Amino acid sequence: MVERQSPLEPEFHVGSHGNFEHGVEILLTETRPGSIVQVAAWPGEEKKLISAIRTVAGLALPDGAGGGVSDGVKSVFGFAPGKFTVADEAEGLAAAFARVVTPAIGTVTDLSHGRTAIRIAGPKAEWVLAKFFAIDFALPAFPIGAGRSTTHHDIFVQIQRTGADQFDIYVFRSFARSFWKALCHASEEVGYEVQ
Amino acid sequence: MSPRRTDTGGRIDRLKTIRFTFDGAPYTGHAGDTLASALLAKGVTLYGRSFKYHRPRGLLTAGVEEPNALVTVLKGEVREPNIPATMVEIHDGLVAISQNRFPSLAWDINAVNQLGGKVLSAGFYYKTFMGPVFGPLKGTRFWMFCEHFIRRAAGLGSAGSAKDPARYERMNAFCDVLVVGSGPAGLMAAKAAADQGARVMLADLEPRFGGSANWSDETIDGAPAADWARRIVAQLEGRDNVRLLPRTTVWGYYDNNTLAALERVSDHKEQPGKGEPRHRYWAIRAKSVVLATGAFERPLVFPGNDRPGVMLAHAAERYANEFGVLPGERIALFTNNDSAYRAAVALKKAGAAVVAIADVRPELSPEMRKLAAEAEAEIFAGHAVVATEGGKALSGLKLQRFDMTNGALIGDARSIHADCLLMSGGWSPTIHLASQAGAKAEWNAARQAFLPPKPTQQWIGAGAFTGSFSTTEAIAEGRAAGLAAAGGQSTPAVLPVVEAVPGDPDPAPVFEIRAKGKSFVDFQHDVTAEDVRLAHREGFVSVEHLKRYTTLGMATDQGKSSNVPGLAIMAEALGKPIPEVGTTRFRPPFAPVSIGSLAAERFGDLKPERLTPMHDWHLANGATMYSAGLWYRPMIYGHAGETVEQAYVREAKATRESAGIVDVSTLGKIAVQGPDAAAFLDRVYTNMFSTLAVGKARYGLMLREDGLAFDDGTTWRLGEQDFLMTTTTANAGKVMQHLEYFLDVIWPELKVHVTSVTDEWAGAAIGGPKARQILAACVTGTAVDNATLPFMGIVRGEIAGVPVMICRLSFSGEMAFEVYSGAGHGTHVWEALVEAGKPFGLVTYGLEALGTMRIEKGHVTGAEIDGRTTARDLHLDWMLSKKKPFIGSAMMDREGLIASDRLELVGLISLDNKPLNGGAHIVEEVDEANPHGSIGHITACCYSPALGKHIALALVKGGKARQGTRAHVSDPLRNRFGPIEIVSNHFFDPDGSRMHG
Repeated sequence: MVERQSPLEPEFHVGSHGNFEHGVEILLTETRPGSIVQVAAWPGEEKKLISAIRTVAGLALPDGAGGGVSDGVKSVFGFAPGKFTVADEAEGLAAAFARVVTPAIGTVTDLSHGRTAIRIAGPKAEWVLAKFFAIDFALPAFPIGAGRSTTHHDIFVQIQRTGADQFDIYVFRSFARSFWKALCHASEEVGYEVQ
Repeated sequence: MSPRRTDTGGRIDRLKTIRFTFDGAPYTGHAGDTLASALLAKGVTLYGRSFKYHRPRGLLTAGVEEPNALVTVLKGEVREPNIPATMVEIHDGLVAISQNRFPSLAWDINAVNQLGGKVLSAGFYYKTFMGPVFGPLKGTRFWMFCEHFIRRAAGLGSAGSAKDPARYERMNAFCDVLVVGSGPAGLMAAKAAADQGARVMLADLEPRFGGSANWSDETIDGAPAADWARRIVAQLEGRDNVRLLPRTTVWGYYDNNTLAALERVSDHKEQPGKGEPRHRYWAIRAKSVVLATGAFERPLVFPGNDRPGVMLAHAAERYANEFGVLPGERIALFTNNDSAYRAAVALKKAGAAVVAIADVRPELSPEMRKLAAEAEAEIFAGHAVVATEGGKALSGLKLQRFDMTNGALIGDARSIHADCLLMSGGWSPTIHLASQAGAKAEWNAARQAFLPPKPTQQWIGAGAFTGSFSTTEAIAEGRAAGLAAAGGQSTPAVLPVVEAVPGDPDPAPVFEIRAKGKSFVDFQHDVTAEDVRLAHREGFVSVEHLKRYTTLGMATDQGKSSNVPGLAIMAEALGKPIPEVGTTRFRPPFAPVSIGSLAAERFGDLKPERLTPMHDWHLANGATMYSAGLWYRPMIYGHAGETVEQAYVREAKATRESAGIVDVSTLGKIAVQGPDAAAFLDRVYTNMFSTLAVGKARYGLMLREDGLAFDDGTTWRLGEQDFLMTTTTANAGKVMQHLEYFLDVIWPELKVHVTSVTDEWAGAAIGGPKARQILAACVTGTAVDNATLPFMGIVRGEIAGVPVMICRLSFSGEMAFEVYSGAGHGTHVWEALVEAGKPFGLVTYGLEALGTMRIEKGHVTGAEIDGRTTARDLHLDWMLSKKKPFIGSAMMDREGLIASDRLELVGLISLDNKPLNGGAHIVEEVDEANPHGSIGHITACCYSPALGKHIALALVKGGKARQGTRAHVSDPLRNRFGPIEIVSNHFFDPDGSRMHG
C-alpha cells in the first residue's frame, strides 16, 4: 500500500526545540491513524449506533455528551449530538462500519485522509492548549476519553483527551500545517520535543 | 549609599545593583526597585511635565494610579510611551526617557504656557476654534493652522512607528474563584477558597503579592505583615488548585463573569526567555470573583499641590517601607484623616525629620496626638496648606488657620521649611471592576467615598474595596468572601491577630482649600478647581458633561485620584450633595492595555494558511502561488523570463492543443448522505437530482431564498443514498451553513447528514484532446473509454496503486476528467498523472489559465454569481425545474428579477486589440471627459489564445438583445477607453463538441 503523505512534512522537525530551562514539557507528534471515521445516528437511533461502535471497534462509550474512550489503538468520542469520531491505527474502519451501520441507523463518513491527528502530551499540555482554545482543559471538566469540538484561529478542531496530560487533536488536513506551526510556536516557551 | 536610600529596611536587595538610564543619564538601583523608587533614591525630584501648562511634576503616588511620572521606555527601536515610572521594574539595560518636554525635562520651552493660565482654561479648544477668530483664519481653518503647534505643545508621550518584535499571547482560563488583589483581604480569600478545594486564581498588578502588607509596618500573628504575606503566598504556591498571577492587572469585567487581565510577563527582564511573551492577555471565566482591590488615597486640592515634592502620604510610607527610600529629609504632612499619622511614624522610623502635621480638623484624638509625638512632629490642628514654594523641587509651604465648617482661612499664613509635603484627602475604594460589572456606586457619607454597588454578577467584595480600611477587617472579610465564593459555609475560626496603629477610617469632609493660586484636581490633564467651577458657571450640570468639557478623569490614569475631589467641587458649586451629582461609570480598561496583547497570537499572522495536498509539489515545480481566501493555489507555472500573461497563454494553449492538469482540491466537497439525500438535493438545487443514476454526476445550480443565484457545482451520486456535492472554492463554507440551516431548522424531519469532505479528497482536473489517452496510460482497474466513462460518468480505478474516483466533466471546455484520490495520496497520484502525460505534452496550469479557458467557454464563477444576478441573467434558466419547488423558486419570478433591462451575461471582444480591465464600465457613447451612462461592467477578462483576442465576460443591461452590437469600454480610473463588440458569452466551441468528444 502506498504510504500516505503527511501534510506536516516540511515543518515536522524531529527533536527538541524551544526553551529547556525546565526541561522538555511538551511532546508533539502526529499519530497518523489508519482510519478516522465519522459515524452519525438519526434522532432516536443513538443507542443502536453506540452498540454498533462497540461491535466494530470494541469500545464501550460512557453516557453523556462529549463522552469517549480510548484503548490506545482505537478511540471514539462524541463531538455533537448523535455524532462520533472513531479512530483506529488500522485502515478499513469505514468499511467495517458500513457493514454494521445500516441506513436505518445512520451514516458512515470516511475522513481518514481528511483529518490530521496531532498528539500533544506532557505536563504543560493544558497550558499550551489554553493558548488556543476557550475551553476548560482541567481534568474534572474534561475527563480522560472525552471529546470536544471547538475552533481556533478559523480552524475547526476536535480534541480528545487520551491521558491525564495527553490530548489528540483532529484538524482539517488543509489547515494542519498552519495549526502545527502555531502549536510549535506556542510550545517554545516551555520546551517541546517532536517525536 | 545614595542620598535618599535608607541603610536598612525595604524589600529591595541591596546586594544586587542594577544599571539603567533615564533621559540618557546613567543610574543605579537595586533589585526590587521601580524606576520611580530608584530615581527617588538618587534624589531625583523632577519626573515629567504636565499635559497643558508644562509645569514641572514629581511623583504623586507609588502605584498604578500615578498621573505625573509618565515615561517612555525604549527597547531597541520600539518605544512604549505613558508608562507610570511607579510601574516600571528596573532591570539592567533599561532605557527610559521623560516625555512632553523640549528641549529637556529641566528646561522646557513650553513651560511658558503657565503664563497662559486663564486662556488655557476648560473649553479652550471649543471657545478658540469655533467661529471667527483672526482675519481670514476662521473656525476650522484657524484650528488647522494651529493644530500642528498645539499637538507639539500639549500631550503625553509619542508612540513609535517601528515594528514591535515582541511576542504576545492569549490565555483562556477557567476557575471557581478569581481573587483580584493580593493584600491581606485577597490573600485570606484565596487561602479560604483554596482550602475548600476550589480552583483559585489570584491576580495582582504588582510583582510582589501582599499589597499593603508589604509597606504597612503592621504585624500579623506577631510577625511583620510582609512576612505573614510571604508565608501565605508560600502556602498557596504549594497548592495544585491555585494559580498565582503576579504583575497581572485585571482590567475588564464583562458579562457572565468573564474578566480580562494583562500579565506583564517579561517587561521586567533585560531579555525575555526563549518563546516567552512580553504580555499575556488572560480571558478568565470565573464562577465567582472576590474583589479585594483596595483603595486609592486622594490628594487634597490646594494651591501648589502639584509641585514636585508634594506626594500622597501612603506613597511616601510605601517608598520608605517597601523600597527603603525617603522622599525627603524634612517632611511635612497635610491631612483630613488619621491615616497620614501612620505615614508620619513610618517616615520618622526610617530616618526622616517630620517637621509638621497640618490637619484640617480642629480636634484631634489622643491617639493621633500620640502618634504625632512619636514622629516628633509639630501638630497644626485646624490648619491648612495654602501655598507651596520651590521650583523643580519643594522648598517650603505656607500654613493658615482653617475653619472646616465653612472653608474660611483665618489669620496670617505661616511658612514652614520642608523638602517634601505629604497629603492625604481620604480614601476611595477601587471599585472600577464592580462598576464595570454593572451597578451604580453608592456614596457613603461617613467614609466620604463611593462604595461598591450591590453585586449584579457573581462577585463578593472584601477589605478596603468595601470601605473597611483596617487590616483586621480585611482579614475577616477576605476569609468570609473566599469561603462564600467557593460555596463553603462560614464557620467560626481563629483569625490572624493584627497589631496596627489606631485610626478612625472616616475623614473630615474637606476636599479643597480655596486660596490664591492654581489648585489641581486632575494632575494628568491639568484640570484645576477653577476649571470645574468655570464649567459650572458655563452651565454644565451633568457629571458626564463636566468630564468631557474639562477632561477631568480622562487620559491614562482615568481619574483614579481626581474623580472624587472633582465631583465634590462640582457638587459644592451646584449647591447639591455629592450623591445627587453622582459619579461616572467606570469602563474597561482599568489600566492601559497593550494592543499587541489583544491581537495576541494573531499579531503578524492574521490568518491561517490552507494548503492543498500537492502544495509542496507546486512550489518545487516553479508555481507562483496565489492567495484565494485562506487557500494557496498555483497562479502560473512560469518559465524563466515569462510574464504572467505569457505563462497563462502558453498553459491554456497547450491544454487546448494537447492536455493540461490543474489542482482542483480546493473545490468545496460535501458528503450528503441518508435516505432523504436525493429529496433534499431536489429542494436545494434548481434542477432535479433524484433522477440521477448512481455512478453519474450532474451540474447543479442553487438559489438563495430570495431567488438570486447562490452557487453552482457538480454533484456525484456515489450510492443510492450517498452523494458527493462539489461547490465553488469561495462558497464552500457558505453552502455548508446553508445546508445545515435547512436541515436543522426548516426540514428537521429529513434524514440527511452533511459533512465537509473537502479535505478528504485531492482533486486533479486533466483536460485536453490527449487527456483520455493519458488516463488510459496510467489508470488500472477500469476502462476510460467513452462507453465506460461517458460525459458526466464516474468510474473507480487505481493510479499507481492508489484508489481513485474519476468523473468526466469539464470546466475548460475540453475533454476533461476530474481525478479524486485520498488527500494523503494526492501528490503520488498527481506525479503519476504528470509522468504519464509527458509523452503527450501534458502541461501543469494554474488559476490564470483556468480562468482564461472558462472565460473562453463563458462559464460563470463568483465574479458573475455575485449575489445580484439571477439564473436568467446568467442564461441558466434552462436549469430551473418546472416540475418541483426548490429553494428560491417562490421568489425568483418577482417583477424586478425578470425585467428586460436587467444586467445579463454577455461576452465582449476588444476591437482595438488592447486589454480590457475587470470592473471597467460599458457605455453606449464614449465621452472621456464626462464618463456616464453605464450599461454594465466587466466581470472577468483575459487574452484568449484560442481566439487571439482580448476578451471579457460582462454583465450588460438587456445583454442578450445587444449581442452583435458595438459599445465602448469606459474606465476613467485607468484611462482606458475603446470600442468593443458585444457577443455571446460562449466564445469558444459553443456546441461543446470538444468536451463531448
